[in-house]
Amino acid sequence: MKLTNLAKTSLASLCLISTCSLAEVNISGFSSINVGKVLSGTGVEHYGIEPTFLADYPNVSAYNEEWDFEPESLFGIQFDADLMDGLSATAQIVARGTEEWKPEFEWAYISYELNENWTLQAGKKRLPLFYYSDFYDVGYAYVWMRPSADNYTWQIFNYTGMNVLYSTDIGDWSLAANLYGGKEDDKDNKLLGDYFSGGVETREIWKDILGGVVNISKDWFEARFTAMQYTNERYVDGERKYWGEDDYRDGTFYGAAFNFDFENLFVLTELSHLAIDEYSFERTLKFDSRMITVGYRIQEFTPFVAYSEFEQEGEDGENHNTQSVGLRWDFHSSAAFKVQYDKVEDNSYWLAVAGDSESLTFGVDLIF
Amino acid sequence: MKLFKYVITITFSLVSFISTAEVSVIVNSANNNDISAGQIKKIFLGKSKSFADGNKVEVFSLADGSNDTQVFRLNALSKSNSQYKSYWAKLAFTGKGTPPKSISDSEMISTVKSNSNAIGFINSDKVTGDVKVIATF
Repeated sequence: MKLTNLAKTSLASLCLISTCSLAEVNISGFSSINVGKVLSGTGVEHYGIEPTFLADYPNVSAYNEEWDFEPESLFGIQFDADLMDGLSATAQIVARGTEEWKPEFEWAYISYELNENWTLQAGKKRLPLFYYSDFYDVGYAYVWMRPSADNYTWQIFNYTGMNVLYSTDIGDWSLAANLYGGKEDDKDNKLLGDYFSGGVETREIWKDILGGVVNISKDWFEARFTAMQYTNERYVDGERKYWGEDDYRDGTFYGAAFNFDFENLFVLTELSHLAIDEYSFERTLKFDSRMITVGYRIQEFTPFVAYSEFEQEGEDGENHNTQSVGLRWDFHSSAAFKVQYDKVEDNSYWLAVAGDSESLTFGVDLIF
Repeated sequence: MKLFKYVITITFSLVSFISTAEVSVIVNSANNNDISAGQIKKIFLGKSKSFADGNKVEVFSLADGSNDTQVFRLNALSKSNSQYKSYWAKLAFTGKGTPPKSISDSEMISTVKSNSNAIGFINSDKVTGDVKVIATF
């Protein structure tokens, strides 16, 4: 009996070994080493916040008046195992300066290509809310230091669930669509805990997430439309949060992005709208964000200007905007140097985030 | 004056260097699909995954640093090296595609010769009768 078990185990391990040797594992990665500081800023006096530039909300990448390397520097590795016949497994591990370089799995999913048009995926993935959400960490793939903070303010950026991808050609046009559903339970949410709740551990749950993305493109034009709904639950310092009598609220998100690329000139835009229903209070909180970037490529240099804003409906709602000017220099076939100046205006009093600031950041993004 | 002469010489040699670097897009001799320049672009950008006959395409590129690669990306795909790499980084790191495999000049002919679903490109001077040229850039 024991022998049989042993034989079975050996056979199983042999199969495993042989399966492994058949799978082609492709390792790739990306890294950003950035540094920056606030040149001048007001901070938020009534919340005891020193002059600060909140460059990135989800990871709470905040610069202050000292030069700092940690807020936005990161190192990521992706493993793609091709198991043949359309089946593949992907894992992405990212270590961030903001998390003391502790490596974490951002992605871990399996993918099955049904045919040329349809792909099924399941596991832990990036929540594809905004245009740049999926590859937010891959600085090399976009022109700025980071996608505009005013747009990318959401506290949840991963989910665990399933999605189906569809892609096809219609003449000169390409169409790609993604339908996804799942849940995220973030035990210690960084943005809410460290920033908005003043250092109190906050568990943020987004459940019953259901969303879709449609992307159409041709040579010089691309449009992306997205919609997503979810139910929000929260625990602050271990205590369940209530909004009036309800222990949940519902959010609905809509977004659109339009990108134009004519030879060397390009224009990038993105709009979003979020509505959160708080039933007991008989109200809906509404948030809008907008972004526009204009850039021009001159050989390996790409100067650009950008403007973005975030606005909450109502008196003294959260309201901030950013004017940016920057330069990307592709000095190497796998690396880019970037420098960016950002001027943030924070216009709310009670919902002020980090106050006004002017800051300078620069760094190198690379892929391998 | 000496510097000026030097600059002129370099400029001329660069221009002539680029103009002679013509690349040929090659497929297996048995591949009888009609493949347009537009189709080539879609294949190398991962937007099209199979030939007209339904066979799955296997795409091969030369190394990033190669001059032929730059010529191909610029002329066939209208993308600079960094635009091309940014484009593929976006797909690869969102789970939507895998960039063309990079192989050496010497492997290109043998790979395309032995793989009926392969497509690749190589400097036109290095094309042999073992493969079929479907376009030049």
